[in-house]
Amino acid sequence: MNSIVCIKRVPETAEATLKIASDNRRLEEENLVFAINEADNYALEQALLLQEEFGGDITIVSVGPEKTDEIIRMALAKGATSAIRITPTDMAELDPFAVASLIANEVEDLDYDIIFTGCVASDDGFSQVGVTLAEILGIEHISMTIEMEAGEDGATVNRELEGGLMAKYDVKYPAVVTIQTGINEPRYASILGIKRASSKEIRVVDSVDIGGKRVNLEKIYFPPPGKMAEIIEGGPDAVAEKTCEILKSKGLL
Amino acid sequence: MAQTLIEQHGLFGCVQCGRCVAGCPISIRTALNTRKLIYQSLLESKKRVQSPDIWCCTTCKTCSDRCPKGVEIMEYIVALRRYQVERGKIEPTARNALESILKHGNPWERAREKRTEWITDDLDVRILEEGESTDVLLFVGCTPAYDPEAQKSARALAKLLNKAGVDFAILGTAESCCGNEVERMGEEGLFEMLVEENTELFSKYKFNRIVTISPHCYNTFKNEYTALDFEIIHYTQLLQELIESGALKFDGKIGENVIFHDPCFLGKQNAVFDPPRFVLQSALENELLEFDRNRERSQCCEGGGGRMWIEVESDIERTAEERVKDAEYFGAEIIATSCPFCMLTLSDAVKTTGLEDKLRVIDISEILIIDY
Repeated sequence: MNSIVCIKRVPETAEATLKIASDNRRLEEENLVFAINEADNYALEQALLLQEEFGGDITIVSVGPEKTDEIIRMALAKGATSAIRITPTDMAELDPFAVASLIANEVEDLDYDIIFTGCVASDDGFSQVGVTLAEILGIEHISMTIEMEAGEDGATVNRELEGGLMAKYDVKYPAVVTIQTGINEPRYASILGIKRASSKEIRVVDSVDIGGKRVNLEKIYFPPPGKMAEIIEGGPDAVAEKTCEILKSKGLL
Repeated sequence: MAQTLIEQHGLFGCVQCGRCVAGCPISIRTALNTRKLIYQSLLESKKRVQSPDIWCCTTCKTCSDRCPKGVEIMEYIVALRRYQVERGKIEPTARNALESILKHGNPWERAREKRTEWITDDLDVRILEEGESTDVLLFVGCTPAYDPEAQKSARALAKLLNKAGVDFAILGTAESCCGNEVERMGEEGLFEMLVEENTELFSKYKFNRIVTISPHCYNTFKNEYTALDFEIIHYTQLLQELIESGALKFDGKIGENVIFHDPCFLGKQNAVFDPPRFVLQSALENELLEFDRNRERSQCCEGGGGRMWIEVESDIERTAEERVKDAEYFGAEIIATSCPFCMLTLSDAVKTTGLEDKLRVIDISEILIIDY
């Protein structure tokens, strides 16, 4: 069974102090740490588990700058067979449709059963590349997959819905499956493994033009704090004390 | 032909005497049985033993130290871990710690830019710029830099150094994990990378010696970084020096009963037994109390060998819980230690055993500033 896994290099923003670049459309990258998008890491693991069960090749596809090779090498270290990095001329012009089109161009002639993507990217949160890719390729798709039982010709998948509901589907290959975090436990890529994987091929598709963009990013910005919001500042002790005071004053403690 | 792991670590010398298991602090509460592990390894010498039990080990090294035949038992366990790390299937918490070290330079999944947040306004801490010089380079370490409890020991030490007029500085956000736990978790490649990067980093500054807060940093810089050409000491050794030279004076007014817990990586692995005792005694009114298991026989707190990030299920109490009960039995009101991991595991144990009203766990530096 052959799979393709689409991964994205994203900044880790949980702890970082974010600065918006002067064009108001990007983040300043200087002090940011980049990693594989979390959901994509689970998608990769799902492909690796299928590879362990059924054999076959895993092709990694990523749209991003040259530095994307860092996360591609980690995927190759974990067991992916080969990789394609697509680096468009103007990264800032990408939208989900453009990304899906670029990926579709490269994968349409490949021999694959499943294309895995993460269900959402942690940076722009569109959740659209996987399903758009399926539409362009004219194949089935299942989004938000939280459980998956794969067979030779098709898979049974569970999607997690609101209100604690699960929905079960059967899907025939070829199909796009977008994966939720928590479906498996991603493995670790050791440094020696990453070094060893440097002999595996990353095919670079450089300087491609973005055709068919559908949405325009106007600006990114920090929303002003709401009227009811109070930002508590200080060390852990001070924050805890102030929080307790507030909870007490509201009769909640 | 390349030596097998069994040959490399001298497993053929094993006489199955069981001193390793008897000395192992966690054999009583986990499935790890070192004698059995060696026996199995010898029986199945053609294939590699793949027991999950090897992740219980705290790398305290009691087994290797006590083996009458010189079998490198702890080192063998670390070597077995390397194969599991290579396959990538390790505890998610250990994976997160290792990935965090690669990305942020610390195992606590905290941003590099926040590495100096422990420095409060009342402290005079210089951050060394490239090419600048200082006498003492204080290597803060990841846990004292980020953990709110352990930060107190970093602050206390900085206060003491300020008071003693020591010319010291830190590397600020340029400082990265030392890799001691990385090596012991079996992530050989990452450890080698850290050794290379840290050695290169140190070469950009001028200083006479490095002082570490954590015995774990001390251990790896001293014993495993082969290209460092400056003195490496633990902060308790520096404090002893400052007291002996008269730069620091304590009037022995702290009246509480204090007992000292030897960290494995300071005591049994590096034979630094007396400096922490000397320093403590100088500030205490009463004689420093001792555990029955002290110095090279000290009981491990289960904080080493990556165990800060690997939980082990057991019905039997943690060694740290046993340790704090012992401290209460010996009449202590304060458990003093000089390792951030011991401080955290023992503090947790004080809470889980319900001894919070009777016992506190405090780093030596913090005890010294009680009266300041």
